Amino acid sequence: MSSSVSRPPFDPELEAVLAVLADRIPPTMTAEMIPGMRQAAPAEVTDEMLKASGLTRRDVAVPGHLGDEITVSVIAREDRQGLGPGIYHTHGGGMVSGDRFSGLAQALPWVVEHDAVLVTVDYRLAPEYPDPYPVEDCYAGLVWTAEHAREIGMDPDRLLIAGQSAGGGLAAGTALMARDRQGPDLIGQVLMYPMLDDRDRTVSSAQFDGVGVWDRGSNVMGWTALLGERRGTDDVSVYAAPARATDLTGLPPAFIDCGSAEVFRDEDVAYATALWHAGVQAELHIWPGGFHGFDLTAPHTALAHAMTAARNAWVARTLGA
Amino acid sequence: MHHLVGRLSALDPEASETLRIVSYFDVLITRGAGLDGLLRGAAVLSGTVAGAEVRGRVSRRDPDGHPVTAAGETRRSPEMSHGDWTVWLERDGEPGPHDAMIVERLALGVELIEGRRRPEGGFEVVIDPARPVAERVTHLARHRLDPATPVRILATAADTAETGAPSAIVPTRYGLLRATLDVFGKLDPPEPVGFGTWVRADRAPESWDAAIIALRLTDESVPAVDATELGAMLLLAQAYDPQHPHEDVRALAGLDARSAEVLRTLVEADSIRSAAVALGMHHSTVQARHEALTHTLGYDPRTNAGRMRYIAAALLQRLTAPAAPAPAGPA
Amino acid sequence: MLKYSRPPFDPEVEAALAALAEQIPAVTPGSIPALRRAPLPVLSDEALLAVGVTRRDVTVRSHQGAELVASVIARSGHTGAGPGIYHIHGGGMIAGERMTGVGQILPWIVEHDAVAVTVEYRLAPEFPDPYPVEDCYAGLVWTAEHAAELGIDPGKLLIAGASAGGGLAAGTALLARDRNGPGLIGQVLMCPMLDDRDRTVSSAQYENAGLWVRESNRTGWDALLGERRGTDRVSVYAAPARATDLTGLPPAFIDCGSAEVFRDEDVAYATALWHSGVQAELHVWPGGFHGFDMVAPESGIARAAIAARNGWVARTLGARLPDTGGRR
Repeated sequence: MSSSVSRPPFDPELEAVLAVLADRIPPTMTAEMIPGMRQAAPAEVTDEMLKASGLTRRDVAVPGHLGDEITVSVIAREDRQGLGPGIYHTHGGGMVSGDRFSGLAQALPWVVEHDAVLVTVDYRLAPEYPDPYPVEDCYAGLVWTAEHAREIGMDPDRLLIAGQSAGGGLAAGTALMARDRQGPDLIGQVLMYPMLDDRDRTVSSAQFDGVGVWDRGSNVMGWTALLGERRGTDDVSVYAAPARATDLTGLPPAFIDCGSAEVFRDEDVAYATALWHAGVQAELHIWPGGFHGFDLTAPHTALAHAMTAARNAWVARTLGA
Repeated sequence: MHHLVGRLSALDPEASETLRIVSYFDVLITRGAGLDGLLRGAAVLSGTVAGAEVRGRVSRRDPDGHPVTAAGETRRSPEMSHGDWTVWLERDGEPGPHDAMIVERLALGVELIEGRRRPEGGFEVVIDPARPVAERVTHLARHRLDPATPVRILATAADTAETGAPSAIVPTRYGLLRATLDVFGKLDPPEPVGFGTWVRADRAPESWDAAIIALRLTDESVPAVDATELGAMLLLAQAYDPQHPHEDVRALAGLDARSAEVLRTLVEADSIRSAAVALGMHHSTVQARHEALTHTLGYDPRTNAGRMRYIAAALLQRLTAPAAPAPAGPA
Repeated sequence: MLKYSRPPFDPEVEAALAALAEQIPAVTPGSIPALRRAPLPVLSDEALLAVGVTRRDVTVRSHQGAELVASVIARSGHTGAGPGIYHIHGGGMIAGERMTGVGQILPWIVEHDAVAVTVEYRLAPEFPDPYPVEDCYAGLVWTAEHAAELGIDPGKLLIAGASAGGGLAAGTALLARDRNGPGLIGQVLMCPMLDDRDRTVSSAQYENAGLWVRESNRTGWDALLGERRGTDRVSVYAAPARATDLTGLPPAFIDCGSAEVFRDEDVAYATALWHSGVQAELHVWPGGFHGFDMVAPESGIARAAIAARNGWVARTLGARLPDTGGRR
């Protein structure tokens, strides 16, 4: 039982934030809370915000899985010149919530800094749209992005994929698909505390059961919404759960970060290790005492600053800045 | 950019903002976040720049947590000073609703940090189990106390005034508290108060530990608790780590207020029928609730063993739950 | 023969590697003297003085009564009691001297007014295990005992080391735990050498590429452990990767490159720490070979690595000890 499983403590500044937000962000999200999760977050990225940063947004209907229409937003600097690097963004939300603007605060600085073009996709959510809808929608959006790159001001040879949490898992799955379907070329994959493994059998899962943010119970709920009864069985594809992939050769260089005090720690370290073992380049950071998504929830803290700085530096190096 | 407390108010107007500010700083201080962490906290809670000057060295942080080095501060208001340090928030015009409390908590934190720098330490040494007994005895001598003198330690809230007896503000797992030395049993402390067990002076840390637990068990109807009267329950409470709640405690904490009330009544009642009368519910409804609760808890609270388990878990829950009244239901 | 494909070296540091690799071929038992004769450059006293730091030598009584030299390095005019850094140099267990690698800790001395003590532990193979780690432990004990005169607050003592120094730092931290002192608030393990068993994937991947190749690693461990290497008769203090109980250790900072022999054992150690409820920060820098930040400090990944490490030290020294209320 978790009461006897010792776990790394939370960072002091982050623990203070948890103390204040605990009843708004309970550790365990249940299926009944999905509607609440979908409504709760106030819009993180408004058009006013974009304008204040000198960015514009354009919504486009693109074909998703099975040709169904889904929406992407193309975001770039108002004063964008020529062809810039591209960022294909897959949002987080546990596979069951969020929209194409969720968590975008992490990626927008890259658009500003590197004059990049960002395409963020509104993939359809579980449980209404279970696997393979989410990852296939993400892949379809990536294909559209590559096909229309030059039109939207993007250099198709400088395209990154990036996502956090469930979006990180979807980014990893999409990168695998792109490799296997001889799809768009990616120069890197930014996997921010990615959700990669439906099997719920890591030590970090057991350590963060009933405590922290997006705990074990929440994670099982999210994966079950995505995979139904297939969760934890042999009948799960590597695109849905990239942790199950045994062949990682030929994937683009990865950036992986995570907190030491969250469920995803061990599967994220394992994925980085599997990449290295396959000869793929990867940068890994595990931040001590970080709970899930702390850079978004507590951006003012020293650890959040460090996490963001390391990530931004990788993006800068990868885009050749 | 919305400051943290303001954002919370928008989401949850019922929330007690002052309590959140207190909790935030308590955790920062207890967990040893340091001066920069305190300043970042003050800045994010207030939405403005927070600053500290300690022995001539100025540190300022903005609400994004970044250092502010540009010269020319706006007005330092409010501001608190003590000895060789000063803390403040920077605001022109209207003060924020919590500025005074934020600066007060920031000051408390700095006082503690500065206090720890004194090599010989203050009264807190006497109750610190991490200090060697020889050091504690040296400190006792300063208060003209023999190591064998019977004493007890009192626990009260950090912002209670000193009583004249030796005391110190100490970070604990329940936040900042004030520890006061009681030699003669004649102190008239403010309430709520927890009285520690009587011990040899050189074992004061044990009394302090008991006092903290006793304070934790006070409430509006019982604002003073003496650890001695807890009897064997003190042993149970001392063995418990609120950071790793037992599954029985988590089960209780997961109940909504009505279910908790039903459970409490079921445990105390002689029969299902008398419980139904007390609750104003139909007998068969209470029966059904009993079965559901048995399932949720993993034990039947109306058996002898189940009652004991419930009472133990309820006691420990009071050591686990935050100081604020528990929220009424799921978020 | 099965060839492992391996993550490539970072382009910036690869250039530095190409220049150096000719000078540092694989280390064999026979080439140890040559390795010792061609050490990495160390900071001179003039270089220290240029940043307001001085060095003085002291004598430390060690394992079985031997006398060791240690250097005390601090800002000139340091007063009061501040943070302490107990430093253990690297060199594969078989080479290096107490000033090797001090460049990595110098920023902490300057920035945080810390006092560093760096010990000249005796080297293998002349002094095999347990001499090196016991010498290091003795130096740590000496440091804590003389904290007041050194100007160190014993409640703010870090241990730090790179490579073999990182392994010895981890081993010394285990000894300090098991012998009830001295107390440490953190352990900085920079590309640490932790595992004598030579069976990780990264060992195979960097069989003959990089600065500290697999053969060199075997030479170092053989010198330290003799025929005990790879057997059951190796203590956790000599090879911390073998420790099964990591509870109660101080918070750790661990970094390494993705392109070096030590990658997998370093990641495994961090994981084992987390599994024991111990705090740890981990960074694996893409394409970094062993010691890349010392050899190519101006490169992008070296600058990032140094910044991350310095950030951890700042956060750790800025924080204080946990609460005094209650048993915990």
